[in-house]
Amino acid sequence: MKARILVVDDDEALAEMIGIVLRNDGFEPVFCADGGQALEVFRSSKPDLVLLDLMLPGSDGIEVCRQIRGESDVPIVMLTAKSDTSDVVRGLESGADDYVPKPFKPAELVARVRARLRPGDQKAPETLRIADVTIDVAGHLVTRGGDRISLTPLEFDLLVALARKPWQVFTRELLLEQVWGYRHAADTRLVNVHVQRLRSKIERDPEAPEVVLTVRGVGYKAGS
Amino acid sequence: MVSDIKQVPESPAGETGKPDEALGAAGPDAEGAGTGSLAPPSTAEPTQPQQVRNLPWLLSRARIWTRRGLILVLRVSRLVTIGVRQIKPGLRFLWRSILRRWRRSMEFRTVLTTLLLAVTSFAIVGAYLSNQIANNLFQERLAQAESESRYNVKQVQDTFDGAQVTDQSSVITLVYDTLTAVEGRGSVIQRRYVFEAAPEQTKPRNRWVESRASDQLTIRVIPPDLRKAVQEGGKQQFWAPTQFPVGNEDRPGIAVGNKVTFNGTVYELYLIYDLNTAQQTLDEIQNVLWAGGAALVLMIGAIAWYVTRNVVSPVSHAAVVSEKLAAGQLQERMVVKGEDEVARLGASFNHMAASLQEQITQLATLSQMQQRFVSDVSHELRTPLTTVRMAAEVLFDARDDFDPMNKRSAELLYYQVERFQSLLSDLLEISRFDAGAAVLDAEPQDIFQVVAHVVEGAAPVAEEYGSEVRLNARQKSIVVEMDSRRIERILRNLLLNALEHGEGKPVHISVAANHDAVAVSVRDHGIGMSQAEAARVFDRFWRADPARARTTGGSGLGLSIAAEDTKLHNGWLQAWGSKGAGSNFRLTLPLRQGGSIVKSPLLLEPADIDFPGATSERHVLVLGTDNTGTALESPSGSGEPAAQDHEQGEKP
Repeated sequence: MKARILVVDDDEALAEMIGIVLRNDGFEPVFCADGGQALEVFRSSKPDLVLLDLMLPGSDGIEVCRQIRGESDVPIVMLTAKSDTSDVVRGLESGADDYVPKPFKPAELVARVRARLRPGDQKAPETLRIADVTIDVAGHLVTRGGDRISLTPLEFDLLVALARKPWQVFTRELLLEQVWGYRHAADTRLVNVHVQRLRSKIERDPEAPEVVLTVRGVGYKAGS
Repeated sequence: MVSDIKQVPESPAGETGKPDEALGAAGPDAEGAGTGSLAPPSTAEPTQPQQVRNLPWLLSRARIWTRRGLILVLRVSRLVTIGVRQIKPGLRFLWRSILRRWRRSMEFRTVLTTLLLAVTSFAIVGAYLSNQIANNLFQERLAQAESESRYNVKQVQDTFDGAQVTDQSSVITLVYDTLTAVEGRGSVIQRRYVFEAAPEQTKPRNRWVESRASDQLTIRVIPPDLRKAVQEGGKQQFWAPTQFPVGNEDRPGIAVGNKVTFNGTVYELYLIYDLNTAQQTLDEIQNVLWAGGAALVLMIGAIAWYVTRNVVSPVSHAAVVSEKLAAGQLQERMVVKGEDEVARLGASFNHMAASLQEQITQLATLSQMQQRFVSDVSHELRTPLTTVRMAAEVLFDARDDFDPMNKRSAELLYYQVERFQSLLSDLLEISRFDAGAAVLDAEPQDIFQVVAHVVEGAAPVAEEYGSEVRLNARQKSIVVEMDSRRIERILRNLLLNALEHGEGKPVHISVAANHDAVAVSVRDHGIGMSQAEAARVFDRFWRADPARARTTGGSGLGLSIAAEDTKLHNGWLQAWGSKGAGSNFRLTLPLRQGGSIVKSPLLLEPADIDFPGATSERHVLVLGTDNTGTALESPSGSGEPAAQDHEQGEKP
């Protein structure tokens, strides 16, 4: 089955080009040029992944991202021309899983799309624990004291990666490789923002984390 | 002259060899035949006999008392030293605080100066005035005394001349009554007298009166000079200032001397006038003068304080306001009242502040506009560029299906779009620095991670050039507070540069740290560069060899961006080069942001090269944090390997 990808971009030429590239690689693209209609198109087309331009007429890309994230865990990859720290971080904080800075290579775009669509669902039944958080890997379920905690797939993968090797300190690069699937230099801010988002959901006090600990100067590790 | 000094007997114990006579003329009651004239004058102290008899006891007493006195003196002196030592810091502190106020407060200085000047002028004027008044008072009293004396002396002389007395008692009565009359009638003594027979004259038989004086007075109150003048003078009247006892005090007075004759004997008659009332008047006047002076001085001080305050307080107000302005509170203004000079100062100050605020706001707006412009251009350019790039890549991937001409076109399109893109992103990066929009996103991270990353990323390029990249370091991990994205960009740039110019020879990366800085140097052994080239290496769009410029990729902005990134970290980026011996680039960063670099842990000029001649070209470019300009440093010879962490730092 072809994976359906929603491309939200106001630039028709770019959207068409992205469409050509995606079709070439066996995806089924759906287009939307207006931020205001993005949510409707999203509901009607039920895509497996969203490619979202950050600067859109009608409704801001960040707003669209927040709306989609409000009703779905579907992976969102931002396309951004602004590589300024603040814009990227704002986009990630609004719920995007990843971003691709313009101008990008077709191969780069496809790699990121594939990484997010990675079929990681056939997991063996496995239960992990960090601190007082229980993770049911196969059931994609995170609980603390019987209460279910809702995580996006990316956040879930991040938590599982840390929980599987609680003795290891993960550098940001290693996490990028294991969780995002990047081989080469990518933006380590991705990790920072997602760790913060994960903490805000699973920590009792995000200011004093117990589940995801920072190892100063190195990276992160799971709490005991 | 008969004296009542007694002869001193010799002490019974010891000192027997001495002549046992005492001093002075022997009195009628002196023991033994007084041959006192022989006695040495050195023992001329009259002493009590029984004290002398107890001399050993006295000596021991004296010794005890001397010792006690000595102890007392020592104790007192110690107390004084301790006191001084304890008070000294206080005094010094007081003195220093006064000095500080003198330096820092114009008010204090002006008031103090005014007070000192006022006191001095009042002292001078007061002294002059009081002197004048005293003089006038005295002259007046003197004139009065002289005329009164003349009259009184005449009266006395007349009385004496007309006297018809011959017996002793009546003579004495007459003289005494006459003199008493001179003292004046009433309860207050108007003048005193001293009546004395002039010396050196033959004594007639009927001279029964030798001398006579008012109460408490003797001839000794009359100054000898005056007496001499009266004795030697004729009928004139002489005067002199003197002092005479009244009750327990000495009073100032004027003595006026004359001669009178009675029964053929010449007498000196001195009339003494009291200056006490004049003195009292003078004292009162002086008191009033000083009190008035002190009050005036205080008032002048207060006036000076008030005036200075009026002038100085706007100035210090302006100082406070300008400090606030400098601290960035641009809306701060001075309070302006009235239309005087001070108000004008305030108004022009406010005007200046307003125009400053306007300029700064304008600049800030411009900078914001510039930032927004850069951001917009970035977006507007990047979107079509992305399309072009993707299209180019699609064509490039399919180039094998094209005929040779189209295939080459597709290749050229692909590579040039790549180049265009890197140029654009470098340009945008530089303009972000220029707009001041670049922000440091520093966090502690291990520099070796970054270095490893860079080396790993550059591996394909190194392979292409056939160069080996070697890492020299003693430490295993150095945690630095840095923006790793920027540091990685700097190091990638330096490494790619070294590989590009390294002519296939090994490239050495050295990492070392000292207690406040970390350094990474990238050394190649390629073509190197000359002095002029080393000096320009961080200039924008500068290329060492224009002929081969466009073939070897890169935007020409890489090192400029690296320099800007370094500046953002408050670090140093320095270049060294030698023609034919390669070049060395050294990045030095403070371990903590806000820290400063004293010395770089690595040598800038590597010592691992053999120079073909003594006059080899070795050039160093130093690029500092606060100075984007270049400075040349003379090379220093050194025999140690470059990769050691010898602490030789070059301050920019």
